[in-house]
Amino acid sequence: MKLAYKNDTFNIMLIVLAIVIVFFLSVPILKMFVGVGSDKLIDAIKDGEVISSILLTMKVSLWAMIFVIFTGLPLAYLIARYDFFGKSFLEAIIDIPIMIPHTAAGIALLSTFGDTGLGGFFKIFGIEFVGTEYGIMIAMMFLSAPFLINAAKDGFRKVDPKLEKVARTLGASPLKVFFAISIPNARKDIVNGALMMWSRGLGEFGAVIILVYHPMTTPVLIFDRFSSYGLSYSAPVAAVIIGFSAMVFLIIRFIANRFD
Amino acid sequence: MSYLSIKHLSNQIENFSLKDINMEIDKGEYFVLLGQSGSGKTRLLEAIAGLDHSSGSIRYKENEISTKNPEHRDIGFVYQDFALFPNMNVEENIIFAGRYKEIEDKEDYFNDIIDFLDLRDLLERTISDLSGGEKQRIAIARALYSKPKILLLDEPLSAIDPTFRNSIMKKLKEIHRRYDLTTIHVTHNFREASYLADKIAIIMDGSIEQIGSPNEVLNHPKTIDIAKFLGFKNIFSTRLIEKEFKAEYFSVDPNLIRIVKEQSDCCDYIFEGKVEECMGITDHFKLFVNVNENQFFIKIPKREYESCLSESKQSVTIGFNEKDISYL
Repeated sequence: MKLAYKNDTFNIMLIVLAIVIVFFLSVPILKMFVGVGSDKLIDAIKDGEVISSILLTMKVSLWAMIFVIFTGLPLAYLIARYDFFGKSFLEAIIDIPIMIPHTAAGIALLSTFGDTGLGGFFKIFGIEFVGTEYGIMIAMMFLSAPFLINAAKDGFRKVDPKLEKVARTLGASPLKVFFAISIPNARKDIVNGALMMWSRGLGEFGAVIILVYHPMTTPVLIFDRFSSYGLSYSAPVAAVIIGFSAMVFLIIRFIANRFD
Repeated sequence: MSYLSIKHLSNQIENFSLKDINMEIDKGEYFVLLGQSGSGKTRLLEAIAGLDHSSGSIRYKENEISTKNPEHRDIGFVYQDFALFPNMNVEENIIFAGRYKEIEDKEDYFNDIIDFLDLRDLLERTISDLSGGEKQRIAIARALYSKPKILLLDEPLSAIDPTFRNSIMKKLKEIHRRYDLTTIHVTHNFREASYLADKIAIIMDGSIEQIGSPNEVLNHPKTIDIAKFLGFKNIFSTRLIEKEFKAEYFSVDPNLIRIVKEQSDCCDYIFEGKVEECMGITDHFKLFVNVNENQFFIKIPKREYESCLSESKQSVTIGFNEKDISYL
């Protein structure tokens, strides 16, 4: 390792402080796998309830991500490209879910989409939010959409508007420019934001449990097993979801890097 | 009937406005828009291309195009920094317009462009590892491939190594003729303008200040501000030479003012002055002479003088001829 300064005291201080935070970030994850034991891990993987909850969590988080790609990218582009009245207020609204407690978000969602007029309106189209996958999706989306929207906004800001202008003079309509120039050149930030949103969605617990206890997402299942049977029953489930998420995350990251 | 007629074109974006632009450009004309940084040159090109909201009229062969979107104006645009698409390789950049427009004889046309601009070896390259000159040729090829009726060039030589500028200027003229283009070229460099232009317009602070032939604009600027921008030196009131009836101001080229040793062999106008400063530059001296509180700037070749006339406040006689005066 090459260090920027030849000052031993300073370098030692940097390294010691870095080790402290790396310890707190990595040891609990490693402990999940080492402490659980391989037989319990294999049992958890074979457990149908665990696997179906993991698949449900990944699937619904993916839906939420896709929904925000369709609706959040246009919003991110609007914010990145145009100045308009209330823009700062709109950006603040997007950031609010990051700041509020997740259980409070769950209560807010339940009061909006539960047994209310708006909830009734969606019921007309067969969409219910309490105790359904739609509920899980809206909870995940509410709390993790800012990660994708903000990343895409930064990505679009990095795309030189002149590229879009030249594309217009070459015959492309604004919509075609958006797909041929703006999105491909902001791709890296969009993919990073989408991955971040998806992985945050996987871990969403506080808001999901208020709207939907069954069907159980993995965080709810872990909580359920922990509160009903204790640590030794919930730890293998936690280890499996961490393993699955890390695997999917690495695969997508690898594919995204291949395209760069 | 002009090929391209711009009338009362105005727009205001943030704190800058284009003010009532009027220009007539003939078919096949190489039109140079000359102005300093921040004078509104690029803004005017973008307005012509339809990339900004503007008021006024832009007529192409008597058809109003100001109401059309940029994609329907058939105007090619080459930006100063070329604006090549980083998500595409060189070939994909060049043929981009083919995705959205019907290009006649596209294969022959493509081959003709890349051979003429010497791009064949670059087609598979990504744009990140190209030189400024290569990027420029690609940006021009991309604009040409869309078969524009009018080509807009925004400071095309500013990002190019000065050693290649002359050859590229020559190439720009060749491109203009070969592809039968009507070109509007924006620059702040009046030497570039004098070489390329059939017609020059001077733009200052969002307004067109003068339009005419290169000779007319570059040698007979209408105002002092234009003269100063064009590099005119020694701008003085005509009262100094008692020619108030001709114009308010006149200017003399520093190279055409002489140090007079014997009055008999020179000149139409002769003045006594005092040397304020003398600087030796590679092959000439720069001499600043005060004549009745007017500071004359004179360039004297070193081969004519052995040392600077540098003794401060030394008296000197200077002279110049009527034929070397530009009246402003």
